Amino acid sequence: MSDRQNHQTYYEILEVPPTAGPTEIYNAYQRARNTYSPSSPALYSMFSPEEAQQLLQLIEEAYQTLSHQARRREYDVKLGLVQPQAPLRSTKDQPVTKYSAEEAKKKVDENWVGPVKVVRSVAKSEDLPNGFARTRFSVYEINPEIEAEIANVQECDGEFLQKIRLYKGVSIEQMADEIRVSKSTLVALESNDIDSLPVPVFTRGFVVGVAKTLGLDEKKIADAYMKYFKPKKRAP
Amino acid sequence: MSSKKHHTAEFAPLRGRVEPGSTIIAVGGGKGGVGKSFVSSSIAIFLAQLGYDTLAIDLDLGGANLHTNLGAPLSNRGINEFIVNPELEFKELIQNTNWPKLKLISGSSDVLDVANVDELQRSRVMSAIFRYKTDFTVLDLSAGTHHSTLDFFLMAKHKIVVITPDPSSIENAYRFLKASFFRKLRRYEHQLQLKNQIDELLNNKAKHNIKNPADFMRVIVEREPVLGVKLKNILNDLNFEIVLNQARTRQEIEMGYSLQSVCNKYFGFPCDFLVGLEYDNAVWQSLRQRNHLLMANRQSHLYAQLMGLARKLVKSHQLKAVV
Repeated sequence: MSDRQNHQTYYEILEVPPTAGPTEIYNAYQRARNTYSPSSPALYSMFSPEEAQQLLQLIEEAYQTLSHQARRREYDVKLGLVQPQAPLRSTKDQPVTKYSAEEAKKKVDENWVGPVKVVRSVAKSEDLPNGFARTRFSVYEINPEIEAEIANVQECDGEFLQKIRLYKGVSIEQMADEIRVSKSTLVALESNDIDSLPVPVFTRGFVVGVAKTLGLDEKKIADAYMKYFKPKKRAP
Repeated sequence: MSSKKHHTAEFAPLRGRVEPGSTIIAVGGGKGGVGKSFVSSSIAIFLAQLGYDTLAIDLDLGGANLHTNLGAPLSNRGINEFIVNPELEFKELIQNTNWPKLKLISGSSDVLDVANVDELQRSRVMSAIFRYKTDFTVLDLSAGTHHSTLDFFLMAKHKIVVITPDPSSIENAYRFLKASFFRKLRRYEHQLQLKNQIDELLNNKAKHNIKNPADFMRVIVEREPVLGVKLKNILNDLNFEIVLNQARTRQEIEMGYSLQSVCNKYFGFPCDFLVGLEYDNAVWQSLRQRNHLLMANRQSHLYAQLMGLARKLVKSHQLKAVV
């Protein structure tokens, strides 16, 4: 046995304060085990493998004691840290707070502003006046002409998609955020910059995303767009 | 005259207290190329940016390059001139930099044979540094465990050791720390009249089961309850601070805690792991352009880590001011 054992408490061996909670002790133990494992570069030229082995044993011993509620208590009594009749330590970590529970409650009471209603951006459509509709991001006035155009679409280009987007009041940033496509790609899509767009299978995916976000029939719109897009993409 | 003054300062814990003119931060660490100049220049810049008057001094007398890290021009007045010319005033060496609060004393010059300074010259420099009034003084030390390097290191309040995660750097850093420890021990053994005791213990390590400084301190406290405790208190002041530089992975940053723990257990006094700095290609790229990283790249992790380091140093400075 090493001399050192007689001079260091288990807390010192694990380098934790005597008030440490179970998580802190566990983390310290893991860290110490890594530090004094034979492959650790931090030991080099400071401790010989045998000394490291001894230290590892001590660390193990310390953890076996401190991680066990009753054994730790017994050890604490031996060190004179707690009275024998004191209640057992909690197995839970102490909350990290500057205030006592009462103070914390008082603090909360002072700042109390009443219950907060979480308002989600999508509310029910019933509360809208007639002639209005919603997307996830906006409220817009229904325009029968454009609605008819959407319903009868056979072939469409990017400008048409832009027109619907603006009609429904969704910004390009919201769109880019929602369908996770970069803004520049969306701009290319809407300005019919075919060369900057990827192969049809990906572009179709973008159009489906746009259509979904705008609350359109995604298959219909995507088919219509591909009719326009495919021949142009193939052309040299 | 000045050397006498210096001695009073060095033995302050024993003979009344002489406060240094500033909070001195020494950046050392055994091996070359681990980033001592980078770390010290960064600390200096951040402290200056935080509003403290800071003086950066290049004490790497043989291979000065702090001015390059700070993007300052070559100067014809450096610490070397101060050493060879007794007439020169310390204040005359000070150069301005790009940062208004940051002053520099460079080590670059054409005086080439000053890497080996003698005791007297060294104490003149140390005394000048010690007395200079400002908020922070940052010392950039040379590699190796030369006596002058160790003395500059030991005079500082913050003794920062820069270590990279490779074994050779770790080995050299440990050697540097051990050398500092024994240098300090040797300095006080006469003062405390413990020389014979210490020699006896160090010559019979096996007999007393002494494997490291922690064991040594324990034995000496047992044998000499009064003087031993005094010595222990003096050596506790060493309090090395570890900066792990050029860490490439999370595990390597974690290694800082291992180094701290090993130093704690080996030396028997608390050593702190201050910060782990990430490896960043931008550092040498910006150095190549003779521009400090911090001027260009404020989004990097490294920037945040260095800021954290500077704040830690400032915190202890403020604590001292309150007391």
